[in-house]
Amino acid sequence: MERTWPWISTAARLGLAAVWLVAGGLKVGDLAASARAVHAYQLMPYDISKIVGAAQPFLEIALGLLLLAGLAVRLTAGISAVLLVIFIAGIVSAWARGLQIDCGCFSTGGELAAGSDPAYGVDILRDLGFLALAGILLWRPRSRLSVDSVLMGER
Amino acid sequence: MSKGKRDRTTQAREIVAKQQAAERRRKVTLWTSVGVVLVLFLAGLVGYTVMSRQDDGTLVTPAAAVDDGTAFAVGNGPVTVDVYEDFLCPACANFEKASGATLQEMATASKITLRIHPVAILDRFSNGTEYSTRSAGAAAAAAEEGKFLELHNVLYANQPAENSDGLSNDKIVELAKSVGLTSETFATAVNEGTYKAWATKATEKFSDRDFTGTPTIVVNGTQLTGPGDTVPTTELLTQTIEKAAG
Repeated sequence: MERTWPWISTAARLGLAAVWLVAGGLKVGDLAASARAVHAYQLMPYDISKIVGAAQPFLEIALGLLLLAGLAVRLTAGISAVLLVIFIAGIVSAWARGLQIDCGCFSTGGELAAGSDPAYGVDILRDLGFLALAGILLWRPRSRLSVDSVLMGER
Repeated sequence: MSKGKRDRTTQAREIVAKQQAAERRRKVTLWTSVGVVLVLFLAGLVGYTVMSRQDDGTLVTPAAAVDDGTAFAVGNGPVTVDVYEDFLCPACANFEKASGATLQEMATASKITLRIHPVAILDRFSNGTEYSTRSAGAAAAAAEEGKFLELHNVLYANQPAENSDGLSNDKIVELAKSVGLTSETFATAVNEGTYKAWATKATEKFSDRDFTGTPTIVVNGTQLTGPGDTVPTTELLTQTIEKAAG
């Protein structure tokens, strides 16, 4: 296992990088819509939602790029995990309050049209899957093809 | 040199080497961490800057607009009914089909003041042509010609499907002509997108009022929904209006 872990971690790292890049990339083109998606959770005043909605896509893309490069993997994985936990908490709270929204995870979601059911369960399971990837990296941050390994003088 | 001493020297060297390696790892971890935090902070800052510097064009607020410049009023009855709609939203078209005529009759009969707020939250569903914003802007231009309701109704009667290109500007002008809105000013405003910045602003105010979906119906300041957060039926709507009228 000592030889395979770095490769498993590499896969987890690239997978999590892809998640962030796609999630951020789909939102970055329309920051007003991103703000509305955040606001649909009805957790903060609109002015705050606006700032969160604008910063979030850029943050996600930056996290994705850092993971792709493999720089300070344990830290980026930790930040990823914190973000994912916040997202899951948000979805759970929306579910508990009976809001009819698209989670906005991979879109500038917002409120759903009448008649369509939100897929909160699926969204949470998916986020838990991503959280598992972050968990692997927190536990075994050493991976191949990473800036970290070059800086640490590993091969 | 005795064998034991040589071993100790080797051991000492190894320990020093290990310590140096550990020190190097600590340094690398520290500086990469600082770098990462800096990069993430900058990324968030970029987002904030992009948002606050967003240029939506010159804001031209239609003179006919009421309620902080967000709505167009029909009738002047004692009960105020606010309807927030996106011209691309299928649920809004359903609402218009079910309750639109009733509301407009009540407005004409001066039972209610009907305030229709066009908002643009579905721009992402028109293949980049921003039909929601264009149509809301067109509605504002129609209001300036005193034909808001005419255009509003004909746009809903001809609602394009989501994920299509929406109605082209030419098509909007053509439909407007079919309901007696023939002014050149209107056509120019549609083609030049004169009121697009206004539509964006009105949508901002909609969000700022903590509304998140369309159609949103508000009777005398209280949002009205059917059971399970659904769009209210015509029956519920008329009942609520009658109750509000006293």
